[in-house]
This record gives sequence, structure tokens and C-alpha cells, in this order.
Amino acid sequence: MTLDGDAADAAPPAPGATAIYFDGTSNRRRVVVPKLSDALEIREDGERLARWAYADIRRADSPAGLLRLSCLTAPALARLEIRDEKLAATVIALCRQLDENLPGRKGVGAIVGWSLAAAVSIVLVVLFGVPLAADRLTPLVPASFERRLGDVAEAQVKVIFSDKRCNNPAGQAAFEKLVGALRQSAGLDKSVQSGVLATQVANAFALPGGKVYLFDGLLAKAESADEVAGVLAHELGHLRHRDSMRELIHNGGTAFLIGLLFGDITGSGALIFASRTLVTSSYSRDAETNADSFAIETMHRLGRPAKPMGELMVRVTGNEGGKGLSIVSSHPLSEGRLARMGKADAGSKLNGAPLLSAAEWRALKGICAGAGASKL
Amino acid sequence: MNDMSWTPLGPPQPPPMPVAFSGSRKEFFRLVARGAGLELVTVGFYRFWLVTDIRRHLWSNTQIDGDAPEYTGRGKELLIGFLVALAILVPIYLGYFLIGIEAEHAKAFASIPLVAFFYLFGQFAIYRARRYRLTRTVWRGVRFWMSGSGWVYALKAALWGLLVLATLGLALPWREAALERYKMRHSYYGDLQGSFEGRGWEFFKRGWWLWLLAPFAMYAVFLAPFVWAAFKAVEWRWWLSGIRFGGVRLESTLRRSALIGLYWKVIGWTVLLGIVFGIYALLCTLLVASMDGSSIEDFFKAESAAKSIPWLVLLGIGYLAFALAMNVVMRVYLMRDLWVRVLSTTIVHNLQAAADVTARGELANALGEGFADGLDVGGF
Repeated sequence: MTLDGDAADAAPPAPGATAIYFDGTSNRRRVVVPKLSDALEIREDGERLARWAYADIRRADSPAGLLRLSCLTAPALARLEIRDEKLAATVIALCRQLDENLPGRKGVGAIVGWSLAAAVSIVLVVLFGVPLAADRLTPLVPASFERRLGDVAEAQVKVIFSDKRCNNPAGQAAFEKLVGALRQSAGLDKSVQSGVLATQVANAFALPGGKVYLFDGLLAKAESADEVAGVLAHELGHLRHRDSMRELIHNGGTAFLIGLLFGDITGSGALIFASRTLVTSSYSRDAETNADSFAIETMHRLGRPAKPMGELMVRVTGNEGGKGLSIVSSHPLSEGRLARMGKADAGSKLNGAPLLSAAEWRALKGICAGAGASKL
Repeated sequence: MNDMSWTPLGPPQPPPMPVAFSGSRKEFFRLVARGAGLELVTVGFYRFWLVTDIRRHLWSNTQIDGDAPEYTGRGKELLIGFLVALAILVPIYLGYFLIGIEAEHAKAFASIPLVAFFYLFGQFAIYRARRYRLTRTVWRGVRFWMSGSGWVYALKAALWGLLVLATLGLALPWREAALERYKMRHSYYGDLQGSFEGRGWEFFKRGWWLWLLAPFAMYAVFLAPFVWAAFKAVEWRWWLSGIRFGGVRLESTLRRSALIGLYWKVIGWTVLLGIVFGIYALLCTLLVASMDGSSIEDFFKAESAAKSIPWLVLLGIGYLAFALAMNVVMRVYLMRDLWVRVLSTTIVHNLQAAADVTARGELANALGEGFADGLDVGGF
């Protein structure tokens, strides 16, 4: 207080210097004379309109060449505007906390610090929390909901690829025999639905709720029943692990969090997409590796080798290449998978009977040739 | 009380008041460049404070009758609004997902119309965000404020939107007029109520040939910036000239060609920055490929490009720098310069009608801004 008084004594209030005052209850422009005593007094025609303590005065935004003041204890929008340079300088010297409510260097530092903390926590949640949540939540999703999801996905797949389901009777019988054997070996119940779709794309996939589809394009490239059986066993592995459901939760969570992270930087869409692809494909590679393990076990339980599946994959993808095959990018390298399956086969005795006879295999290859589906 | 220097509607009419802008361009550039850097460091979270600083700069350097308005919003409010909006949007997104599943179950791709719901929500956000901005705008110690309902506005916007779709864009001026009428009718400066007197027909009359040119602009790309800039200029002029607050009347004399240069400058910068980014990407590829020991052709053929982490990281950094530089360009030209050009042609008539306005109105929260941020919609 004494300091304030000294300062006021030291700097004589510029006599006659006027300012503009808005009292915050109306927009009337009042020409006032500020008097600097132990507080800032605002006077109009000798009558005191307001008295602002120096400690309560804050700076408000203004154009250059104008000092605009507000006061914590006055109406929120009351403003004193000083154009006189000398008077402004005196007032600035008197009001020590003038700039306290404006974000300064320290404020920006705090924003940066907290943002980085938030970013680190989001990254950690994406890398560790989301996979954990997907693992824990997947068993809690009711099977009926998963089936509904599967129906939806199936309808979309049929629109995108083909709704022609191959049903040449002899081929269908062979296919059912193959799936039946694998299903029993894999320990899955009879609710599994499967079929061959008449599409040139060389692919196969599992949908939530127990649906496995094989595309005719993959069948055309296969050279033995074991090759197709391995692929089907791999897809049954996805069903067994409920990978589609888990991936859905995982991808949804990741997309949301990464979107949150990059927010508003214009053109960040591509960046979000890129980082999401990196995260989710690494996750899906894990799922693929697990499904491969499942396929190896299932085939070995039947006394059949897993290596032919790997050979089929390499034949389809070529060495390391991924020409037009959607499942590859998110999968481990085909050669790696082949090597792994070969190693697994070498370590176990494989003397089971062939899954299909030569005639049945021929029938399966021709499943789309019959009356059921006509190809151009 | 005894100050009768302003006689409302007295015979000697004071001259119309031009609006001036006093801010320095250099200062604004520094503001947005620094802001872009901080946005990068804070992975985007700084946007709330940057937007606040931009508004503070633009508001406080605009002078109407010698007095500059003041933007009293703060970044922290926007952050809180964003977080609350997020908390509300998450369950909505989940519900949207579940309803979408049911719709898809009935028929493939039947969930697409559900997007309409988010359109409604976006319009609601635009209205509420405007309310936040208006209540943070103070001129001569009295704030602007807004009443009305965001949902009513959203419904109006959606129905008019359908009409615009059905008429291939011809109904656009009438949609804008109707929506502006609603917004301005519910806008106040103290106890002075706003209104909007622009008619859809006037808008259409000034720019009818733009509707004819629009289909050609879609094919001849070089034509598009001209058409768009002329459209925006016509729209600005019509919009400003329609604004009333009590007896105060705004007028704009913005020429149709006034904004064309701005858009071409942005395009020029985009091309320039794009070329710089392209060269940078090429150098990165050469560098990584040479460290890899493979030729460029092999690098792409073997698809090791997609698997090379250093390459992806370098490209990611370059892309971020490109995006931020673009942000600075957009803000300098399409916010600051556009603001200045539009203001310099704006005239205020009969300002003395706003000489003794009593303060009224409450502050609105920043939830609308949060929704607008979360849904990526913008508007006035």
C-alpha cells in the first residue's frame, strides 16, 4: 500500500488528461478525468463515478495506441480507455497485476506440457489399453449381436464381390466334407456357416458370428485339398478367436483416439489414416499369426501337413509382393509363414488319411462350374 | 443522462461511418506462424488458444466509430467446451453405430441416411457456436448476445437444405436469407434487437450468372476460383447490407472481383508449397534408398517403401510441415486479408441509434464450439 502511495506521489496525475469510460451497464461514452490517488478514481464533471483499486485493475484487449482497462470489482464489462500516452504510462506503472489474467509465457508452457502429457497418454492407451480392452470386451459381446454383425457384413460382402454362391452338388458335398472334418478337429460346433462365392479374387475370409467364405479365385489356384484345408482352418481360427469382433473394437477405439490426438490440423486426415493403418495392421498381424498357429494345430490333429497352405499363399502373393490381394497387407509375409509351417510339419508325425479323395478334390475344384453359378 | 450530444433522428444527419482496421499484417503473420508451431508441438491441442488469439486480434483492431470491439472469450473455455462435447458425442456415436447395424441388417447400406442426423447436429453446433462468439463480443462496454433455439435452427437449415438439393442449388439464396433472418432476429446488442433485411431474390439477382457458370467451373478447373471468389463477394456484400441492429444499418460496397486475387494467391502458395514438399519427398526417398543400398525402382517394386520406418517418419514430418504452412497461408489470406477487404467496404449508417444502449444478455457456454470442433463444421 505504501509503495502504491509513493508511486502516486512520484508521478503527478497528468492534469486535464481525459479518458473514455463505459460503465458496463450502458454503452454511453463518457469523457472522464481519471484521478490517481491511492486508487484510480474516475470522475465526470467533478462527480466520482467509480473507484478502482490498482491491484484489481486488469488490461483488456485494445488496438495499438490505446490502453483499455477493466476492474475485477467493477461490473465485468466496465472499461476505461486511455489514449494519453503519459497517463497510460503512469497507470501501467501503478498497476502491478495489470497483465495477470493474460496467458503469458508460463501459460503457453503449461499448455504445451499438458498437451504432451495428454498425447503420451493417448499413445499409450492406443498401444496397450485398446488391445487389452478389445481382448477383455470381446468375450462379453453376446453371440446374438455378433451374428447380427455377421449378417450385416455378409450382405455388404455380397454387394461388393458377388452374391453367387456356387452349389454344384458334387462339389458342395466335397466342400462340406472338408469343412466338417476341419470343424470337428478345431472343436467348433455346427453353427459354422460356409460357402464358396463365384469371384475371381483369390481370397478367403471369416465374418463375425461364424461365417467362412472361400472365393473361387483361390480355389482355382489351389493344387491340393490340403492347401484349401489349411486356408479354411486358418479362417476357422479367426472364428474361434472371435478376431472380427476384437478387430472391430480395436479399430474403432484406435480411430477415435487418434482422431482426438490430431484434431484440427487441416489436412491431418491423411496423417490420421496413415498412423491408424500402422497401428491396426500390426495388431492384425498378431491375429493372423495366432490364426496360423490354430491352422497348424488343426491340420496336425488330422494328421495332415500345414505347409501346403503356406505354398498356396506364396503362389497367390508371389515373393513378398501383394498384387491385388486384400488380405496380404495386414498379414505376415508369405515366405515367413511358409517357413514356419514347414518347420512345424517337420517336428510332428503326419500320417493321416487324405481329407478328400482325388475324385472329391476334382469335384471341389469344379464347384462353381455347375448350374448353380454361371461365370462369364 | 444530461448528455444530449446525440439527438436520435435529428434533422442534421451525421455522415455514414466507415469501418476501419488498424492491425498490422506482420503481427498477424507472427501470431499464426507461432500458433502453427505450437499446434505442431502440442499435437493440435493449441488450436483452442490460437483461435482465441486470432479472434482477439481481429476484433480489437476493427474500429467502428473510433471504438474497437473486444473479444472476451478464452482458450480454456473452448477446451472445456470441446471436452464436454466429446463426452456427449461418444455415446451418440455408439448409439449411431448400433442403430446403423440394425438398419444394415434390414438392408445392405441402409444406414447411410443416418448421416442426416449428423448434419442436423452440425447445424445445431453452428448456431450454438455463433451464440458463444457473439456473447464474447463487447463493444463500448456492452455485449452482443443471442436467444433462439439451436434445434429449431437445425431443423430449418435441414429442410431448406433439402430444397436446395431438389432445386440443384437454385434455392440457396432463399435458404441463406431465411437462416440469416432467424439468426439475426435472435441476435441483440444490449437491448437493441437485430434483424436481417436481405432478400433471397436480391442475392440471386446480383449473382444469377454464377449459377449458370457453376457447371462449367466443375469441368474447367481454372474457372472455379473466379466463380467461387465472385460468389463469396456477392454473398458477403448481400449479407452485410442486410444486417440491422435497431435503427443501425450496415452497408457493403464490396465489388464482385474484390476477392479473386486472394483465392489465386492461396492457390499459388499451395502449388509452391506442394512443389517444395514433392522435392523434399524425392530427396527423402533417394536418401533412404541409398542407405538401403537398393535402386529407386527396386525400392518401390519390392514395396519396401511401405515398410521402411525411416522413410515413413521423414514423409510424415514433411507432410505435417506442409499442412501447417498451408494453415498459415489460409489464415493470413482467407481470414485476415479477407476480413480487411470486407471491412474496408463496410459502412455503418445511423450509428447514433445505438448511442444509449442498456446492457443485457447472459454469457453462453462454449459447448457449441466444442460440437463444431468435434464434428468439423464451421460457419458464422
